[in-house]
Amino acid sequence: MDYAFWTISGITVLGALLAVTLRNLVHCVLSLILFFLGIAAHYFLLRADFIGAVQILIYIGAVAVLILFAIMLTRNVTGEAGPQEVVGVKWWIGSLCAALTAGLISFAVRADSVAETLSPGPKATVAVADIGKGFVGNWIVPFEAMAVLLTAALIGAVVIALEEVRNRR
Amino acid sequence: MTIPLGHYLILAGIIFAIGLAGALTRKNAIIVLIAIELMFNAAILNLIAFWHYKQFAALTGQMFAIFAISIAAAESAIGLALVIAIYRHYKSVDVDDIKSLKG
Amino acid sequence: METIYQLIAGWFAGKPEWLPLAIAIAVPILFIVGVYPAIFAYTTLVERKALGRVQNRYGPNRVGRWGILQPLADGLKLLTKEDIVPRDADKFTHFLAPVIAVIPSVLLFAIVPIAPGLVPVNLNIGILFAFAISTASVLALFMGGWASRNKFSLLGAMRAVAQVVSYEVPMVLAAVAVVMAAGSLSTLDIVKAQTRGGLEIAGWFVFQPWGFVGFVLFAIGAMAESARTPFDIPEAESEIIAGYHTEYSGFKFALFQLGEYLAAIAMAGITVTMFLGGYLGPGIHIPYIGGFIAAFWFFLKLGCMILLNIWIRGTWPRVRVDQLMGFAWKVLLPMSILNIAVVGLWHFMGNKVLAWGVTAAILGLAFVILAKISAAGNIEKRTYRYAN
Repeated sequence: MDYAFWTISGITVLGALLAVTLRNLVHCVLSLILFFLGIAAHYFLLRADFIGAVQILIYIGAVAVLILFAIMLTRNVTGEAGPQEVVGVKWWIGSLCAALTAGLISFAVRADSVAETLSPGPKATVAVADIGKGFVGNWIVPFEAMAVLLTAALIGAVVIALEEVRNRR
Repeated sequence: MTIPLGHYLILAGIIFAIGLAGALTRKNAIIVLIAIELMFNAAILNLIAFWHYKQFAALTGQMFAIFAISIAAAESAIGLALVIAIYRHYKSVDVDDIKSLKG
Repeated sequence: METIYQLIAGWFAGKPEWLPLAIAIAVPILFIVGVYPAIFAYTTLVERKALGRVQNRYGPNRVGRWGILQPLADGLKLLTKEDIVPRDADKFTHFLAPVIAVIPSVLLFAIVPIAPGLVPVNLNIGILFAFAISTASVLALFMGGWASRNKFSLLGAMRAVAQVVSYEVPMVLAAVAVVMAAGSLSTLDIVKAQTRGGLEIAGWFVFQPWGFVGFVLFAIGAMAESARTPFDIPEAESEIIAGYHTEYSGFKFALFQLGEYLAAIAMAGITVTMFLGGYLGPGIHIPYIGGFIAAFWFFLKLGCMILLNIWIRGTWPRVRVDQLMGFAWKVLLPMSILNIAVVGLWHFMGNKVLAWGVTAAILGLAFVILAKISAAGNIEKRTYRYAN
């Protein structure tokens, strides 16, 4: 479990770093997919099988493909992101903010001894059937709200993307 | 030796910081969206880690994670539709170019 | 895996603890990487022979009797060919794409049960795992097409992505109907659910009205997912050369072919598991040899599905891009959503004979209406300028 954690964490952080630093947009998306895979592996390691599969299905199968489509549709077929951004004031400020955030979170976690002493629960996975029952039981209201949200997002995305075409005619 | 909860929290914090740095420093709108996805994933990883270490009732952590993933999917669909609409209008996906309030 | 472990755990009483576990893990892996690629090799031969017969010719018959060594000759030919990488290609991605094309296809076999209790891994998220993995295969097609820096490759890649994403939706919804009826995502439980009520062959899901609709939807979706004719517009020779693998040669091309065929075989296996009763058949409860009979039934059904695929490939013309997309979103998607509602109705109707009739009537009516709507205005009488 130890080695698995460190290896997967390394892959995850590497994927995340490459995703925001590479110059070629398509390479960024491919690194992002590596990152998503790492996160999914973490979920499997944490015995959340269902979430892991959902992560792969939604993030790699849908979100990453959507981003690839967006890159191709913005006439940026080779994926080159234009001239390299200069390491200027903005870059330093951004990195400083990020480093401070990371430091703050680490400090908070370290300072709170509870996080260090907690032990994992018994090694049992939540059955998928329980999640299904949860959706139509306790969690019915958020579930329906999610359905409305996704429908609205679907229609909204179509309307936004189609707008200019309609004006042009 | 098992991994303590704190390791997962710090990992999520590092990923969140990477996403934040990307969103603040990169100029391409699509990369900014990618960075936002990183931050979302860091948050969801926290939910699952807390669930694994029995900090919530049986199902709560996984349910929250599913809802968060759904919201992230909706967010990315809308975000990319916006990027495409902006590209059609400005012929650019550079967030610095998009600063006029007129249409 | 668990079955093998329980079977052999007793034999290794004095040995180290990890030995039976290691064997239990190694056997399914060796089975997957040994048996299914062999099936792939002979599928290519059978396909070429069958297509030859469809087109009124013999097919390969030079290498060995009935061309039986043809797959070996093909493999040797592809291995010894020059490996060409275009000068402007994105080298790393170009190299990675064929590798990624194979991995998801091999992983798909992990959840296909071949005999009672005998499945490489009995995941409680079974079918969902298959869908999650199969979406990853689209990335390989995109990477291959994009990294080649060739406009035909890129066109093929974008077509592949659009097609797979579109057909994923009705396919998953068709599977949802099965999962609702079986009450489980595990493939073993889905097969077991098809023996419910003491029915023998009549219990297979394909013999229920909703199951038949689901079977057709799923088979079409699976065919489109693995980009086989008539849904092979990502690699349509007459339009875009060879699509995403235009710039691949030698063994990398072979890997793309391997991935595509393995995915088609795995999808056929999952179709058999979900609709055709998996390993069920007469005689599987006979002691000692029952397991072998079950495996025989499974592979027989798998072979039938593969032959069906080849038959369709040989006889149907390729669809156009707009027809492909319209078919997925306007016909398959409404049918699959209706199918889910019908399964709910089936579940709550007590009298199954009555339920059979009612659901068949609903689905038949819906199909007729959809066919009328989608065909309206498209079919016009063909006029001949000279032949009349």
